Amino acid sequence: MATFLSNILFKGIASRSLTTHLSSSSYYGMRYLNTVSNDPDSHDDFKPATKHESSGISLSDVVEKDVKDNPVMIYMKGVPDFPQCGFSSLAVRVLKHYDVPLSARNILEDPELKSAVKGFSHWPTFPQIFIKGEFVGGSDIILNMHQNGELKELLKDIKSKQ
Amino acid sequence: MASRGASMVLSRANRIRSKLQTALEATILEIDDVSYQHAGHAAMKENSSDNKETHFNLKIVSPKFEGQNLVKRHRMVYDLLSDELSSGLHALSIVAKTPHETTASK
Repeated sequence: MATFLSNILFKGIASRSLTTHLSSSSYYGMRYLNTVSNDPDSHDDFKPATKHESSGISLSDVVEKDVKDNPVMIYMKGVPDFPQCGFSSLAVRVLKHYDVPLSARNILEDPELKSAVKGFSHWPTFPQIFIKGEFVGGSDIILNMHQNGELKELLKDIKSKQ
Repeated sequence: MASRGASMVLSRANRIRSKLQTALEATILEIDDVSYQHAGHAAMKENSSDNKETHFNLKIVSPKFEGQNLVKRHRMVYDLLSDELSSGLHALSIVAKTPHETTASK
């Protein structure tokens, strides 16, 4: 019961303080940005009352802010420590070679976020990686850039994680 | 009606081949169906049983890639296959090179 309640509380906080999470300056290696999950098990009464739209933050604004505020931003399936797709796993493994903060969102938790990211980048598949506000590509491209040295060059002026 | 029937029977791999071959005039076009490697993962469980062709590895050598960076090359492929991507094709692993690049790397 305690877990159940804290879960609801957590979701409530996550939905309301979405922007606070994003502008937080405290890096501790990996950061997971929380999004509201559409948990099929939760009763309607317990679902977060504030939708992204009604809270005045559209999801495309969220994506825009993500890629602006986070030097290395990855939209993936699962989370960096537990990717739920081979391509997302590959991309995370490549990025972990570098001493840079990695910010991630799990698009499996939020179908609306997933379409917002697709619309933002005009790219149909995941993972999607943004570096210094620019769309870089998916796992094939990040691996290729890692192998030919472009990624090292691109990441060299990003402050290392603390 | 006959042609519609034929296109239904044609596998996704064959449709991908003909679309890419026609548009990109590929000199090398390798298509590997690797869907079995992804059969267990989360997004695939909801998939209907008649859609088994979800993941492909593509190797494409095309003169049309000349002067295009990787993102643009991948976009060209995704654009050509947009119908497939919206009808159950889930992911592509793409190697996209120009004829010049393949001879240079050997």
